[in-house]
Amino acid sequence: MESFFTRYRNLIVLAAILMAQIVGLAVQVRRNSEGRSTIDYKDAAGVRLIRLWAEALVAPPERAIHGSKMTAIHLWQNYIDLRQVREQNQELQKTIDRLRLEQASLLEDARQGERLQALLDFQHRYIYTTLPAQAIGSSGSEQSRVFYLDKGSSDGLKPDMAVITADGIVGKVRDVFSHTAQVLVINDQTSGAGVILETTRTRGILTGNAGGQLEIVGILADDRIKPGETVLTAGGDLVFPRGLPVGVVEKVVRDPERDSFIDVIVKPAAHLDRLDEVLVITNTQPRFSPEQQQDLATSEAVKGVEAAAIKDQLKASQINAERLPGLIDPNLPPDQQPLMDNSNPNPVAHPPQALHPDRFTPGAAKDGTDSAKPDATTGPARDQQSSTPGGAKSKPAPGPNVKTGSKPGQPSTSPPAHSQTGKPQRNP
Amino acid sequence: MSVLGANFRRDLEIRRYPLLLYVLVPLAALVLQAWLPRVLGPYAWFDLPLVVTVYFALGRRSPIQGTIMGAAMGLFEDALSQHAIGVNGIAKTVVGFVAASVGVRIDVENHTIRLILNFLLSLLSSAIFVFTYRVLLGLDLEWQWFTELFRAIGNSLFAMVLFPLLDRLQIRE
Repeated sequence: MESFFTRYRNLIVLAAILMAQIVGLAVQVRRNSEGRSTIDYKDAAGVRLIRLWAEALVAPPERAIHGSKMTAIHLWQNYIDLRQVREQNQELQKTIDRLRLEQASLLEDARQGERLQALLDFQHRYIYTTLPAQAIGSSGSEQSRVFYLDKGSSDGLKPDMAVITADGIVGKVRDVFSHTAQVLVINDQTSGAGVILETTRTRGILTGNAGGQLEIVGILADDRIKPGETVLTAGGDLVFPRGLPVGVVEKVVRDPERDSFIDVIVKPAAHLDRLDEVLVITNTQPRFSPEQQQDLATSEAVKGVEAAAIKDQLKASQINAERLPGLIDPNLPPDQQPLMDNSNPNPVAHPPQALHPDRFTPGAAKDGTDSAKPDATTGPARDQQSSTPGGAKSKPAPGPNVKTGSKPGQPSTSPPAHSQTGKPQRNP
Repeated sequence: MSVLGANFRRDLEIRRYPLLLYVLVPLAALVLQAWLPRVLGPYAWFDLPLVVTVYFALGRRSPIQGTIMGAAMGLFEDALSQHAIGVNGIAKTVVGFVAASVGVRIDVENHTIRLILNFLLSLLSSAIFVFTYRVLLGLDLEWQWFTELFRAIGNSLFAMVLFPLLDRLQIRE
């Protein structure tokens, strides 16, 4: 018996398991009223328990797989989004780079426009004829401070023309080619310009030193020169017109070679190291704008009217002078001068008669002392009296009216108590 | 295919696996069988619990173990479905028993033999399932033979990948 089970145990186990399952199926399947087999969808307690175990066993891993799947999908979508975002980011970065370049270009154009506008305004305002030019290159050497313009002899440039900006002087044209010109900057050591300090009116020669600074050399030590003082062109070098700004005094140092001289370091008014657009003074003849010309014409017209008015006034005064009698006529002898004429409607005023005559009273002096007294008569009259022929001295006039009113040689007809005006005088 | 005598089975190597593998692999097969059809839809032409049952039955060469494993896998599969519990259980019980019995008698080390056995046992499982469902229980079941053929092919393809992987996990003395 034991050997039977041992020998056929596999089949016995198989049969048992199959039988158990068949029984279990038989329990689950029902026959309906029509005689057909159906599965009872409402599980029995044991069947439900089996399903519950199976679900409890499988559900957690399934949930984990589902969660992993969703995570993977989420990550994938994020990855796709990130890829798109990365692409978009690259596109945006390219756009930003392009816009930055465009912005930089526009900014440079705007700055150049501002500079050109300022230069144009200055050119219009400036009295001399100028030609705008663009700095296109430099010497490339620190020891040679020159740069090149895009204008040359074909544009009318000539050597020694002044090169300026709206801020101040830059240099002078050193060499001219057909379409370009070389400009020697004022801070070059070989450059030179006559300058004057605005306040102290000290003149000097502006040149460049080895460090590229501007300095005025050959100035006697002067304590009045202070940093900040404006330096202008003096106009004596036949290159730069007078009055152009050069810069401001930066500092004053003692001349190392000459004790009594100083070097004035000047900070240039123009940006010598950032030159883009400059003006070349092509003609130093004053150039006036229509408004200025109109102002000048108006000024000239006003001046002409004033001159005519002054001339008319002079003419009128001459006519008046001719018509009115004068006190001294150069054509008449002294004794016939209108001054001696009693008929003069405007006789010369006489001093009033003294209330208490003394020896100093005119006409009261004794002979011999009369000469020491103040003469009561005018010079010509006295000379006339003293030079009477025969040496006879004329009797001095009793009153002050003797010296006026009557002509020399003529007896005074006016009473002594009367003044020249004919009015009665108090006689003491 | 070399047919061996019953006395020779002692000489055949019985494959041994880590104990955890006996739990995790059937569980993974059940979980994937429940989950993959949701992803693949009507193209889920495979039966992973069957493949695992065949593998362990062939490897262990123990009909009892193969029977029990087949029964357990089938019952769990039924429990997860709307079928009456025992339909798949009967089919896989028989398959496990047959696979183990065949494994005792033939050399199943050859990978091709195992694939062919897997294909044939899949058809056997389908046949037993249909028989049980329609004949034994008298329930209506619409089935198509090519679907069962595709399922057998799908099982063989899974076996082609799964068997070498599980072979690597066996304990070698």
